[in-house]
Amino acid sequence: MKVVRVLVLVVGFCCAAVPLAWMALSSIKDRADTIHAHPKVLPVPGTPAGDDSIAFAPTLSSWAELAEVHAGAQASFWSHLGNSVIIGILSTLCSVALGTACAYGFSRFRVPGASDWLFFVLSTRFMPPLAVVVPVLLMYRELDLQGTHLGLVLLYTVFNLSLSVWLMKGFLDEIPRAFEEAALVDGYTRMQAFVRVVLPEARTGMAVTAVFCLISAWNEYGFAMTLNSSDAVTVPAYFAGLAGNIEGMPWPQVAAGALVFVAPIVVFTVLVRRHLLRGMTFGTIKQ
Amino acid sequence: MRKQGGGLAWALVGPTLLLLVAFNVFPLLWNVLLSFTNAELVGEGARSVGGANYARIFDDPLFAAALRRTALFVFVAVALELVIGFVLALALKRDFKGKPVVLTTLLVPMMLSPAVMGLYWSLILNGNYGLLNQVLGALGFGQPQWLTDRDLKFWSILLIDVWTWTPFMMLIALAGLASIPQSLYEAAAIDRASTWTTFRRITLPMCAPLLGLAVLFRATDALKQFDLVMAITGPNDGGTQTLSALLYQVVFRDGKVGLGSAYAILVLVVVMALATVFTRYVERMRGAEASA
Repeated sequence: MKVVRVLVLVVGFCCAAVPLAWMALSSIKDRADTIHAHPKVLPVPGTPAGDDSIAFAPTLSSWAELAEVHAGAQASFWSHLGNSVIIGILSTLCSVALGTACAYGFSRFRVPGASDWLFFVLSTRFMPPLAVVVPVLLMYRELDLQGTHLGLVLLYTVFNLSLSVWLMKGFLDEIPRAFEEAALVDGYTRMQAFVRVVLPEARTGMAVTAVFCLISAWNEYGFAMTLNSSDAVTVPAYFAGLAGNIEGMPWPQVAAGALVFVAPIVVFTVLVRRHLLRGMTFGTIKQ
Repeated sequence: MRKQGGGLAWALVGPTLLLLVAFNVFPLLWNVLLSFTNAELVGEGARSVGGANYARIFDDPLFAAALRRTALFVFVAVALELVIGFVLALALKRDFKGKPVVLTTLLVPMMLSPAVMGLYWSLILNGNYGLLNQVLGALGFGQPQWLTDRDLKFWSILLIDVWTWTPFMMLIALAGLASIPQSLYEAAAIDRASTWTTFRRITLPMCAPLLGLAVLFRATDALKQFDLVMAITGPNDGGTQTLSALLYQVVFRDGKVGLGSAYAILVLVVVMALATVFTRYVERMRGAEASA
């Protein structure tokens, strides 16, 4: 039994880790080495080009070339990463702010039809983006929001509301009402009690919610690609655009870029690992 | 101190609900209207065509094929993710040195962008120079053309989906396993129940409710499979076209907004049916929790 268990874990671990390790290796290769018939595993400085061994000469040229504009794209990787950062952070801030307020309302007040509203909010999570993208596109054309950062910020904010409302509702429900009651007795207004007593208590919850909103906006592809062709293209849409590259895929740059793109997500995953279950299930399952 | 709502309550929940109506309900209704017209992506002057778009879809072999393919995708991918995820969770149940590192590493794939990872996977799966075939070759196996073989590319996309989402099933299965009281196992040990009986009578039924939730969650997502198809083959590939890919092709490549909207509505009906099952399920589970 133990042998089976260890075997299962080793295989699983390799499946998860090897593609990412390979990504790191590919990013320090020459393009010829990434498409070599033999696997190039070992970075050995000074390996001659075209060598058939498993060694390859490491190079940082792909990292330098991230600043270049490739065929099939309009700007460099860094500029698209900038778009991802701006859109991700702004939409996350908006989602968490709105979601926290909304969750607080549902958590502490008797809102008529609260349960129905909450499930309405959850159901928007299941909406296929492609079922609303055309009207959104037409709407954005009218409002001149097509291809703008603001357009995507708005869309991702709304897209993540179901997540932030449900997660924050769970976190806020766990904060004892006695805290606010004491504050109200002390003469705070409701709003003051919320801002000075509840919010500090909900810090962890808000941070966790923010991480999940950020990741979801960071990774989104469907809207990013259909609503944008120029100014606000995020990294997933940029990479997808490279796929039709007639010069052949610039694999080392793709690997380097993908590595830069996924590294913060890996860090965040480690940071919120205790809350992953909650975050991934919109708080419908708690640990 | 649950106060009657009043102004403050609506001021708190109002903006969120308004935004959701403006960006979800409103476009959706608009989409329903569009689905009865011959609107195009460029150009004005859409006319009403009644139910013609819907009538066309039901005669469309592409739609039937995409529907079957998507159903197969959902069924096989979710089943594989469930089984592998559960096996991994069982293997992770006991503590061992380095478990946090192993666990976190196993969870990482589900957090990564499918669009970006899909593109990157096409390097690993490349038939001529991909890592997978190099490993297979070294082990003496055949080296199939994962991405270009007509019959294989669908399964390659499915495997990438399994790679991405198995951790999700594992995560939920772990929560299910952790919720089983140790006393049940002790009782089973006293009764000298076999490992298999213990698994079938205790482990599986105790995990089932959570796993059911996970399956519903994944199924509604897998039904919308789009990113990986786009990354691996593009939207118009006869071997891999899922419903979402077909929808994209019709609207954005062929420019037929009216027809595409009708597709979207049909897809939505299926997704929403599943989502309703899901929310009911959550409600029931919460009810059970509250009364327990």
